[in-house]
Amino acid sequence: MSLQECYAALEGDFEGTLGRLCSEKLVERFALKFLADESYPALIKAMQQGDYEEAFRAAHTLKGVGLNLGFTRLHEASDLLTEALRGGRKPEDDSLLEKVTAEYNKTVAVLKEYQGA
Amino acid sequence: MRNKVLIVDDMELNREMLSAILEEEYPIIEADSGKKALELLKDQQDEIAVVLLDLIMPDMDGYAVLEIMQKQNWMEKIPVLIISAESKVEAETRCFKLGISDFIRKPFDNATVRNRVKNMIDLFSYKNELEEKVEKQTETLKKQYKLLMMQAEKLKESNTRIIDILGTVVECRNLESGEHIKRVKGFTRILAEQAMKDYPEYGLTPEKVDIIVSASSLHDVGKIAIPDGILLKPARLTHDEYEYMKSHTTRGCDILRNIKDVWDEVYSQTSYEICRHHHERYDGKGYPDGLEGENIPISAQLVGLADVYDALVSERVYKSAYSEDDAFHMIVSGECGVFSPKLLECFRSVKKQFEALAEEQRG
Repeated sequence: MSLQECYAALEGDFEGTLGRLCSEKLVERFALKFLADESYPALIKAMQQGDYEEAFRAAHTLKGVGLNLGFTRLHEASDLLTEALRGGRKPEDDSLLEKVTAEYNKTVAVLKEYQGA
Repeated sequence: MRNKVLIVDDMELNREMLSAILEEEYPIIEADSGKKALELLKDQQDEIAVVLLDLIMPDMDGYAVLEIMQKQNWMEKIPVLIISAESKVEAETRCFKLGISDFIRKPFDNATVRNRVKNMIDLFSYKNELEEKVEKQTETLKKQYKLLMMQAEKLKESNTRIIDILGTVVECRNLESGEHIKRVKGFTRILAEQAMKDYPEYGLTPEKVDIIVSASSLHDVGKIAIPDGILLKPARLTHDEYEYMKSHTTRGCDILRNIKDVWDEVYSQTSYEICRHHHERYDGKGYPDGLEGENIPISAQLVGLADVYDALVSERVYKSAYSEDDAFHMIVSGECGVFSPKLLECFRSVKKQFEALAEEQRG
């Protein structure tokens, strides 16, 4: 699997990300770094504890990473959750978190597959 | 040297991505919290060239960091660039109000970040350099100004001393003049200060009055060139002797002309005017030049009146003293030559002060 195919599997923005980061090497380096990122576990933990301010920050971070790395689906899902959590509010729609979890799991699975290949 | 880039973000991946863009050109220091950022800023504020700041962070967020930076005046020397996934316009406005230099939204472009960071660093290094230069130049100017003031003070002292030395020579040569010079100075000051107050058209200032008063002691400097036989003659002078006596004005000018180069122009000019013209009268009937009205320099008019008053109230080898009252009326009525109407107004206003001084000097 090439990096481009990896992004295609994620429905991510490979061309745009490559353009911004200027080299495929950098895109690969940071995309794989995402596997070690603590934002998603922090988000889940905060949601379970009902700490919606912390959850907002974690969702916001996830959104930022998604934007920068061109993980479009993850970015969109976490953007919706971020806005629902803004001001430390409890999101009324549980499906927002479920969508983020689904996108996160998919992203991690594809990246791991790429890493192993 | 100010060249470090401080990256502030609670997320390692974000810091790494920014660091990767800039590490080839600048030394990078990182902070994973607002608190850590402030510590680094405090310790290395003269080395940090730019701050890349995340907004959403736990505990102390980007806004709090900006508020403290603003309070510490750090943003005057260090530009701050916000890097944020925040899409709300209000966030950007709030940051600019807090003094940031630029706001970069995620996803950021590596080239954009590199260019904006470089621009900001160049701009601020230029600005900081200019401010340092201005500060240094202001400091130098202040020092030079102080030096100038000291030299001006010294010059003034030496100008006054030249006058005093010449005045002493006159005193030694002319037996009756010792106290006369002192009194003329006193009368001149009283009259000049009144004229300064009542007639601004004369352009008198406290400094000019000081110079006139000081220079008044030279009004008779030419008398050192008059032979004793005439100067000290205890009887009425013949016509020829009187004409010769009158030449003390022009002879005084010859002496002053010879020392013109050694003192300040205002001092030498004023002394010259007084010396030459203190016997001129307002109707043109004085000597040596027969000047009329305001063609007679105000300095010479003031000293002229003071000189006449003192001559009247003093005892001389050829006459006894008049009373202050008589002296006042003789001057006002024009018996001792015509004076300027304005000056006579001043003279009337200070009559009491003149009398007090005359009284005091007589002991």
